[in-house]
Amino acid sequence: MLIHSQMKHVSSVPAHGVNVMLTPQFYTLKREPLPVKYAYQAKRIAPSLFEGLLEDVENHKYFVSKEDENWLFIAYDIEKIKTFLQSKGIEIGQVSKIFFADQTANLFTAPVLLGEHDALVNLNGTMTVVPQIALNPDEKPIHITTHFTPKKGVAFEGRGKSMVSSNEAYTLAAIFTLLAIIYFVEGSRYGGEDEVQVQEMQRLLENHPSLESSYTRKSIAKKYRAIDRKERKKRDVIKALSHMIFKGSTLTSLSLDDKKFKAQFACKDVNTAKKLKALAKKEKFNTSNIAKSNDVKIEGTL
Amino acid sequence: MTQLKAYKNELIVGVAFLLLLISFAYKQGQASSQSDTSAGNAVQELKEVISLQKIWGDKKMSTKIDKLKTIVSPSKVKWNKKSKKLTASFSTLTNQELNALITKMMNIAVMIQKLEVKKLGTTYQVEFKCKW
Repeated sequence: MLIHSQMKHVSSVPAHGVNVMLTPQFYTLKREPLPVKYAYQAKRIAPSLFEGLLEDVENHKYFVSKEDENWLFIAYDIEKIKTFLQSKGIEIGQVSKIFFADQTANLFTAPVLLGEHDALVNLNGTMTVVPQIALNPDEKPIHITTHFTPKKGVAFEGRGKSMVSSNEAYTLAAIFTLLAIIYFVEGSRYGGEDEVQVQEMQRLLENHPSLESSYTRKSIAKKYRAIDRKERKKRDVIKALSHMIFKGSTLTSLSLDDKKFKAQFACKDVNTAKKLKALAKKEKFNTSNIAKSNDVKIEGTL
Repeated sequence: MTQLKAYKNELIVGVAFLLLLISFAYKQGQASSQSDTSAGNAVQELKEVISLQKIWGDKKMSTKIDKLKTIVSPSKVKWNKKSKKLTASFSTLTNQELNALITKMMNIAVMIQKLEVKKLGTTYQVEFKCKW
């Protein structure tokens, strides 16, 4: 549907929605041979190109498209377009995509009549609205068809009651999808690890067939864990006591069995005895002085 | 259809979010099944049992324990090894010999039943009883 300022009120719009093509009355355009490769780069510099040309720059959005040698820049006021469409009976939710007449300027080989007074013509590659009286009477006007629909268009952001803009939607969707991929990969890694564990288990059991029964395993584990804990404790005590042998402190006796230990150290003076007792307390051992000497007795349970 | 188009953005976000939830549930499911399944725990437990058995159930301990008597000269050692038990006494040990002996005892995986060290003058006497 071609949208122009003189158009009549639209009585019905197809249920599946409608594509609209705007005449230059609704946009400002520029063609520039800029040395940029991608549309997003061109879009970024679009506002600077229209500086001084537009009254309210903030309300404008920009559409860019690569032509043979030039970049086509179009600035349009989306609110103004919305208001106009609504005034003509076209609800925003019914508009599928917006196109601009200049996108397919080469297809306008003859004028297209706009209402009773104006016509849309291609003047040196740029679409222009002119009075119909200025047309060459020999030129036969044409009608636009779906053939005029360009490949690229603008989707109406915030159509209907949509609360998310396209950009936000795509960004969020990209983030969610990325996270989903990460979770899937992580999940499958867990699954893989599980399989590895099962294989590892089988390999270990093949090498130790006597441990196949979980009851046997638990029983052996219980037995050896108790031994391991107790024997490590004994060795830790012996190691701690050996650190208490230093200059002035000599081990005179040590006795250790399954339940307790007792050691006696001869100290050359009171200070050495104090230092020794401090070391023993650090290890949470019980200490006592031997009467009439500097000797220290250290004991504890296992 | 028009309604769907009108909510296209919400639909995109919704589908992506649903995918995220499904993938999160899948990951959690896999993670919890791994921690619940005994595969991981059982392997750890089995490894621990094998390792404990290797240390404390060493079948070559009867030979390994003999190294204790090689640390000091035979004249200083009284050795009585029966089945899987050892009673040994070491006398007139110097500081260095005592250190070497105790270090060795600590590094051999036997169950120490009794260890007595006494200083007699400048030398040490050691009574050692263990089993394996």
